[in-house]
Amino acid sequence: MICRRCRDWITERYDVDALRRLLRTKYVPSHRYEISYFTGGLTLFLFVVQFLTGMGLALYYVPHSEHAYKSIVDIMTKLRMGWFFRSLHHWGAQLAIASLFVHFFANLLLKAYRKPRELLWVTGFIMITVLVFFGLSGYFLIWDERAFTAIRVATGGAGSLPLIGAPVKIFLRGGIDVTQETLTRFYAFHVSVLPMISLVIIGLHVLLVQVHGMSVPLSQKNRQKEAQPFFPNVFYKDLIVWLLCAGVLVTLAVVFPAAIGTKADPMAPAPENIKPEWYFLFLFQTLKLFPGEIAGLNGEMIAVTVISLGVLFAFLMPFFDRRSSAGRPSPVFTYAAVFYLVYFVVMTVIGFLN
Amino acid sequence: MMCIFSAACILLLALPLLCPAGQAPFEPALSPYDRHILYQALVLFWIGIIGLIVIIVMKLKEAKRTQGMGVHQDEENAPFLD
Amino acid sequence: MKLDYSLISRRAFLNTLFGGWLIAVLSGGIYAFLKFIFPTVGKEPDFVVLNRADFLDIPGNTVKTFAWGGKPGFFLKRTDGTMLALKGVCTHMECNISYMPDAKKFYCACHKGWFDDNGRNIEGPPPRPLESFDIITAGEKLVIAKKGVKVDLPKV
Repeated sequence: MICRRCRDWITERYDVDALRRLLRTKYVPSHRYEISYFTGGLTLFLFVVQFLTGMGLALYYVPHSEHAYKSIVDIMTKLRMGWFFRSLHHWGAQLAIASLFVHFFANLLLKAYRKPRELLWVTGFIMITVLVFFGLSGYFLIWDERAFTAIRVATGGAGSLPLIGAPVKIFLRGGIDVTQETLTRFYAFHVSVLPMISLVIIGLHVLLVQVHGMSVPLSQKNRQKEAQPFFPNVFYKDLIVWLLCAGVLVTLAVVFPAAIGTKADPMAPAPENIKPEWYFLFLFQTLKLFPGEIAGLNGEMIAVTVISLGVLFAFLMPFFDRRSSAGRPSPVFTYAAVFYLVYFVVMTVIGFLN
Repeated sequence: MMCIFSAACILLLALPLLCPAGQAPFEPALSPYDRHILYQALVLFWIGIIGLIVIIVMKLKEAKRTQGMGVHQDEENAPFLD
Repeated sequence: MKLDYSLISRRAFLNTLFGGWLIAVLSGGIYAFLKFIFPTVGKEPDFVVLNRADFLDIPGNTVKTFAWGGKPGFFLKRTDGTMLALKGVCTHMECNISYMPDAKKFYCACHKGWFDDNGRNIEGPPPRPLESFDIITAGEKLVIAKKGVKVDLPKV
């Protein structure tokens, strides 16, 4: 009874039926590669998990170099379920980045970026940058030895960028060195700046998906099966994917709780065999490929420039790939996409094994 | 469905074996009893997840069946019982 | 003066004026904000003053760490009694290094870089030798100064 009155109250004021009709007209194409459609939803789900667990953790974390480490230890040992939610946040981050990379490579290979979806590609690419930066800043907040050294290396590496390197490094560090100032900054990035940016970008991204509909790969244009209604068919499948992901996430968090090393000491020697988080390994390995000096120039600067150009090319892919935009196959860009994928995977694996 | 269920079970059985000892220095000191409770809770959680998935699959089949009959929505003006 | 004809309509003029003014005002604000969010940069110290007794009497082939700003500085006494002060930060990726007394070398664990006991980069990725400092003794004090920096000893 009360339910009906509430519904009447709303329907008298808003055209709910129009929304419902809109939902009913949303169809999702069905073909061989339709599984790639679930990668975006999965990333979105993991983002929601990160937002929720992050809000919880923010209630207890102390962003100060003297207390940060202790507050994490307290979260892990003293708070009720603290270890669980920190582990969820830790593993959620890993899975979110993994699923975003899968989403990225799937759309790169299927050329979902082609006209008219260039802006979707651009917003998605910005999200990758934001997410990687999320990972970097979040990793630093635990203020243990590895995180400290890793951030010094990472911000120092950003300092090797041509032209903008020095100001970027100073901006990230909040000074010439990694200190409390850096922690304050990274905390601000992690809990305020990046979440705001990602809300806007994700909102735009999802809105654009609604405007354009799902992209059908060129090869599947004439081989589609009957399109499925988004609601309930695809939505239920999305739900299943999310539930399975939640199960895996919780299992990981329970079985492998997030670890923390020894407290950072700016004066202590760097720990042996430091490795960045796995999603930086391919960059790290690329840096190792370059010698210290090439023809009298700083090898690091050249390495960082080459990497930046590679990333820039991927970013501008939809604007270079004219053939696929015109509906013709463009094998050159398929090879480029395969190259990116193979390079990423191989370099990550090599980084792991080293 | 059986397939997913058995996969989940195998996963559950295999994961604790994979867990290296002393992985997390600040894992709360768990007594064997606590650990038992923890894994029990995890199993219950999975049962909950799998139950939900089963229900969703049933709903999906139902939706497909009605769509196959050409009925895409419940009748709008069906009389209420109240 | 009244013009009979103009190529610019009143509306176009106003639009340009409005747009231009808006950009000017906004860029003023953005400039101030950028000034704010970019930190005022401190600099590394030109020299640090230490207690002479703490450092000169260490045994041979050992290293004593001192604070060079927020980074470690190393005071090395070689086996033959000669001394060297240098910045304990790898020139490759700014990791803190450590001294290996057995090999008489400095080692960076991050990317396996090696420096000899003069601070020269001898193995691994480091592109430059370690930054070494001048050692000045003044009464009870030991002054470690950046190369080429004139230290006003009486003031110290």
